[in-house]
Amino acid sequence: MAQAGKGKLNYRCPSCFMRDIDIDMFYDEDKKEYYCIRCCYHGSEEDVLQKNQMARFRYKSMLKRFDFDDDGQKERK
Amino acid sequence: MKDTFILNLVHRPELNPEYAEKTAGGGKGLEDESIDIFKLQQRLAHENGLKTTIQMTYSSLFSQYVVDLAKSDHQKYGDEIGLSLLGLPCRQFNEKYRTKDFCIWMFSLEDRKRIIDDVFGKFFECFGFWPESTGSYYLDAQSIAYIEERYPSVKCAVATCWEEGPKAYHTCNNSWYTLMDGGPWNPWIPSTCNTHVPAKGPEDDSHIVAIPHLSRDLIACFDGNGSNFGTHPQNVLRGMVYEGDQYPYLFNLIDQYRHMGKYNGGYSYNMMFVGPGWLNKKGRWEAPYSLLEKSYSDAMAYYGNLKKEGKLCDMGMSEFASWFRENRLYSSEAFLWKDILYGSEKSHFWYSSPSMRCCLDMNQGGAMIDLRPYESKLVRECGIGTSHVQEVSYPFLIQANYRAGYFTHYAGEGTVKSCTVSYGGVKADMCLCRTKAVLRSEDGQRVLELDPVQFKLGELVADIQSVFYFREGSNEVKTVRKVLRTSIPDAKVCITEYMTACYGTTEYPEPMDGIKLIAGDKTLDYQYKCRTVRAVGCCTAVVPQVECKVSMHASEGDECFVKEGYAFSPMFTLGVVRNAGQGEVFESWLKLEKAN
Repeated sequence: MAQAGKGKLNYRCPSCFMRDIDIDMFYDEDKKEYYCIRCCYHGSEEDVLQKNQMARFRYKSMLKRFDFDDDGQKERK
Repeated sequence: MKDTFILNLVHRPELNPEYAEKTAGGGKGLEDESIDIFKLQQRLAHENGLKTTIQMTYSSLFSQYVVDLAKSDHQKYGDEIGLSLLGLPCRQFNEKYRTKDFCIWMFSLEDRKRIIDDVFGKFFECFGFWPESTGSYYLDAQSIAYIEERYPSVKCAVATCWEEGPKAYHTCNNSWYTLMDGGPWNPWIPSTCNTHVPAKGPEDDSHIVAIPHLSRDLIACFDGNGSNFGTHPQNVLRGMVYEGDQYPYLFNLIDQYRHMGKYNGGYSYNMMFVGPGWLNKKGRWEAPYSLLEKSYSDAMAYYGNLKKEGKLCDMGMSEFASWFRENRLYSSEAFLWKDILYGSEKSHFWYSSPSMRCCLDMNQGGAMIDLRPYESKLVRECGIGTSHVQEVSYPFLIQANYRAGYFTHYAGEGTVKSCTVSYGGVKADMCLCRTKAVLRSEDGQRVLELDPVQFKLGELVADIQSVFYFREGSNEVKTVRKVLRTSIPDAKVCITEYMTACYGTTEYPEPMDGIKLIAGDKTLDYQYKCRTVRAVGCCTAVVPQVECKVSMHASEGDECFVKEGYAFSPMFTLGVVRNAGQGEVFESWLKLEKAN
C-alpha cells in the first residue's frame, strides 16, 4: 500500500475539532477514506461533512443577527 | 471625537506565507500568488473606500515590485507604509541568520537587535524614511525599548494576540508556540517593564501605542481557540462558524466591539489583519478559495458601508497612535461582553487598567474568573538565553479555566473570587447563581450592578445583590453584597467573601513554596499543610514568584482568614466574613500591590 496523501480539500479531523484540536487528515486511497493520525477517527468525505455539521451544535446563535443596546443584544427580525 | 469607531486595517505582503508555504510547497508560484493576494486585499479595501496600513515584511523589501506597489498605494490612497517583524523567513533571511525561527521575541536579545537593525535598515534603503509603525504577534518590552531608542519614529506596534496562549497551542496539536495570554483586548500604551501591562503614566510609558493582533470575542476566546473568533473572516471559517456562505457572527462581533464605545467615552476599536496565507488559491482546510475571497470581500464591504454611513473612521496605525495619545492615554477600559455565539445569555465583564486585568462571569454570580496583577509590573525577559524562550504570558492569580474555578473533581479547590452565604448550617456559593448585570460609569469609576439573586438556605430565603466598583487609577476592587430581603425578618446570614488563588501561566501547577499568608498579625509560610489561620482585620498573600501582594479587607473589626492548600490542591484562600441581616450591606476590598 502506498503512502497516504491529502484529499481534494484539506479536511480536519471532525472528532479532534470537537475537542478544539485542528489536525489535518490524510487520505487512504486504498480504503477511500480520510483518517486522523492522532485519534481513531476515519470516514468518507460524506461522513466528514456530516460530522462537521454536527460540530456546529454548540453555535446556537451562529446564524442570528443581533443589534446591541443598553439591555444587551436583541435578535434582528 | 465622540462616538468614534476606529478601524486599523493592516495588510502585509508576505512572500513566503507561514501557512501557505507548507501546503503549497513554496517556490516562485507561491511568491507570485502571495503578491496577488496582497493586491486583492488592497483592492478590496480601496474599492470600499478604506485606507490600510501596509506592513512591509523583510522578504517583501527585496521585491522592487512590492516596494513600488506600496509607494503607489501610499500616494493614491493615503495608505501608511509600516514595517512588520512578521514574515522574516525568505532566502535572504535564511542565508544570513541560518535559522528557521521567525518569531522576533524568541530570538536572543543580541539577535533581536541585529534583526531589527537589519529590517529597519533595509526599509530605509527602500523608502528613504523610517517607519512609524511596526509589530509582530508579540513584541516584548526589550524589543520595544530598543526600537524606541534606535528608531523613535515608531509610534505604534502590533504587540500581542489576545488570549493566544495554551488554548492556541493545544488547538494547533501542541505545535504553535504563541504563548502570550494575559494582555489587554483593546489598544493600550505598554509599560516599559512588560508589554502586557498598560503604563501608569509618563514614568513607565514605552512611547508606543500597542494594538492587539485582531479584535477577539471576549467570551468565545476565553474558553475556546482564540484563532476562531475574531475580526478575521477566515478565522471565523476556521471555527466553522458559518453555514453555506453566510457568517453573520462576524458582523455581530464587529457590532459588539462598536458597542464598547458606550462604556469607554464614545471610543471603540477594531483591528483586522489577515495574512496572505489565509487567502491562498488552494483553499484553507474545508473552505474553498471562493469562500475565503468572499468572506474578505464581505468584511471590507461591511466596514466600507459603516464608513459611508459616518459610523467608522479608518486610520493608519501611526495616525491612530496619535489619536489614542490625545484621547485615551492611560485610561482604563471596561466592557460587559454578551454571548453572541452559543445562545447562552451569558455575559463577561472585562476590565483592564495599569493595575490589573480581570474578568467577572455573570453566569457565576459575578465571580472573578481571571485576574492578572499588572500592579506587580513583572519584568520577564524572553527569548533564547532566558528562562522564557517562548512563554511570554502575563501570570494570573486567578484563571478559572486553567486552574479550576468553582468546580473541581472529588477534592480541592479552584481559582475564583466569589462569596458564600450561610444560615443555620446550610451554605451556598454565589458561583451557582446565574444572573445578569448592568455596567455604568459614574464619579470616575466603573460600576457593575448585578441583578439580585436568591439563596434558599434551609428554612430561610435571602435575596442578595452584588455590586462591583472599579475606580479609575485605583489598585483596588470594591465589592458590595446587599442583603435586600430575608424571609425571616431578624435573621442574619453569614457572608464569606473569598478568593482562592495560585499563580501561573498554564494549566499546570507551580511550586507554592515561598508564599506567605498573613491574617492580622499572624503569618503562615506555605508548606502544603492545609492550615487555616483566623484573625481580625486584613488578610494577605505575598507571592514572590510573581512579585505580588494581594490582600482583602472589610471594615474594622470584621473577621478574616487565610487558608493554606495542600499537594492535591496547591492553592491559597483569603477571606473576610460578616453577618448581615435584611437591609444591611457587606463591603470588602481586593487590593493588588507590588511585592519586591
